[in-house]
Amino acid sequence: MNGEKTIPRSPRVHFELLKDGEGRLVLVLSGQLDADSASLLWRELKQELAAPPATTLEIDAAGLTHCDSAGLGLLYFLSAGQMTPDLQVTLRGLKPELQKALQSFSMEDYQAFQSQQPIKQSVTEEIGTAVIGVANDLKEMVVFIGQVASGLVVLLSHRRQIRAREVLRVFESAGVNALPIVSIISLLVGLIIAFEAAQPLAQFGAQIYVANMIGLIMVRELGPVMTAILLAGRSGSAFAAELGTMKVNEELNALETMGLDPVRFLVLQRLLASLLLTPLLTVYSMFTGVLGGILVMLGLGFPLPMILQQLESSVDIKDIAFGTGKGFVFGIIVAGIACLRGLQTRAGPSAVGESATRSVVSGILLIVITDALFAALIFLLKK
Amino acid sequence: MSTPPDIIISVHDLTAGYADRVILQHINFEVRRGEVFAILGTSGSGKSTLLKNLIGLYTPMAGEVLIEGKNIVTAEGDDRLRLLRSFGVLYQSGALFGSMTVLENVRLPLDAFTRLPGFAKDLVALSKLRLVDLKTSPARLPAELSGGMQKRAALARAIVTDPGILFLDEPSAGLDPITSAELDALFKELSRNSHITLVIVTHELPSIYAIADRVIVLDAERKTIVAEGNPHYLRDHATDPLVRHFFRREAM
Repeated sequence: MNGEKTIPRSPRVHFELLKDGEGRLVLVLSGQLDADSASLLWRELKQELAAPPATTLEIDAAGLTHCDSAGLGLLYFLSAGQMTPDLQVTLRGLKPELQKALQSFSMEDYQAFQSQQPIKQSVTEEIGTAVIGVANDLKEMVVFIGQVASGLVVLLSHRRQIRAREVLRVFESAGVNALPIVSIISLLVGLIIAFEAAQPLAQFGAQIYVANMIGLIMVRELGPVMTAILLAGRSGSAFAAELGTMKVNEELNALETMGLDPVRFLVLQRLLASLLLTPLLTVYSMFTGVLGGILVMLGLGFPLPMILQQLESSVDIKDIAFGTGKGFVFGIIVAGIACLRGLQTRAGPSAVGESATRSVVSGILLIVITDALFAALIFLLKK
Repeated sequence: MSTPPDIIISVHDLTAGYADRVILQHINFEVRRGEVFAILGTSGSGKSTLLKNLIGLYTPMAGEVLIEGKNIVTAEGDDRLRLLRSFGVLYQSGALFGSMTVLENVRLPLDAFTRLPGFAKDLVALSKLRLVDLKTSPARLPAELSGGMQKRAALARAIVTDPGILFLDEPSAGLDPITSAELDALFKELSRNSHITLVIVTHELPSIYAIADRVIVLDAERKTIVAEGNPHYLRDHATDPLVRHFFRREAM
């Protein structure tokens, strides 16, 4: 008798490998074969049977008192000759009920499953799919802009359909509730820029021009852009998630079968609210940012009238109008892209999260691109 | 508390509910090893609440639930894990993970609880899928499957670690009569061949008559069990108006 071994740490199963001179190998199993002992036995047998000096393998399972699915899996694997492809394998002594349960195992299922694994796309295919995706996305955007525009016309001629209460609700949650974060960020950005600029400007004795810089930069650029980015992250994602969840819950289908256009019923309210609140928040952000700059200048020892004088001489009402105008455009972009992403939500548990992410990414991207276009346009016009 | 060996679940004077709202009280019953036990009741009678207390998702307000003689609320560490592994649950919606393929879903408990080699887990998972007769590719995502197929896949996941008890929450909800009869046959087969104890929450009379050995009936108003016994016997001999109404569709 050789090859006898009790599986360590799992005394439930016991196996013996018996050899006789004529190339017969007998594997005698006894005890309980469950998920824990089966995985250990699996490893042991793989080593023991790696190069068997035999032509046939007989598995004697008469001693098995209990065997769960994992154990049956091992027995099936052995008896199908998968571990020992060169040997002829027979299984005997298995209890009738286990024998019956063994029938649900099949190597064909396994091979069929292996062949069904998704084939990986080649790089060219992936690039192609991505390009088609972008093209389709652009097409959907154009269609969406058309829907929104036509919806807006209908809405303005049928004022009762505007649903002012919904507009107010969005205005409050996306606008009023955003005041604290807009305040903190604008104030701090104003402070930081003033601090950073004060040191190099001091070398030229031009510290007083910090006021000019902070005025222009907050009013023309950072006020509108920061507000828009904050809105995209805070409210845009909320719009996309809200509409996405409605789509997943079939609420959008319900609207459509009731003859209500989701764009007119849900999107336009958010768009209107955003159109109203973004310029307001933008102006608020401009002033808070400038306030941050003023605080730094006061700290540097400049008197307040002097700072205000500098601001007045550098920031024109046209600059404020320009910044506020940007706020209008950014407001439309943030709400529009967020609602579009929400409506594009597909099925599945991760779809809503994906839409929210896409709304923030596309929102910020479009904001920056539009801002660059504005800068280029102003440059060309002034030439 | 010691339990006789043929009792697999015992519930002692259970009070269940949410916050300060009592939904069920004075609940006492026992489930015997290997039987098909059904929890019946109208909508809102606390069937699902009772189930969630049985499987340890909710903590009982009073009383205790013993599974294999152990209290799931007080069990800790390895004991709790062993207790959790001793039963499978088929949720009403199937609760398959949408981002994983069917096979990955079924394999998940094996990945978590065993150290079998990868292809062995696949082999076992595929055998369970064959057992529940899922006639579709296991490499598909749950969202691509019909409701009946999802239930079958979820059932395969619930039994992949060979639990001794299987809890079924409204298994026929949202399914057509033919599919639900097929599932009933499958449950019956599981209970007979694999010696699994089944605890079914349902209000489907055909299913109850087809598979249940013993039932309890819950009442929303009295907040407790109003009848216990074999469903065919209760249909013919019950005196309680609600139970008669439930089984015979008689006016109350």
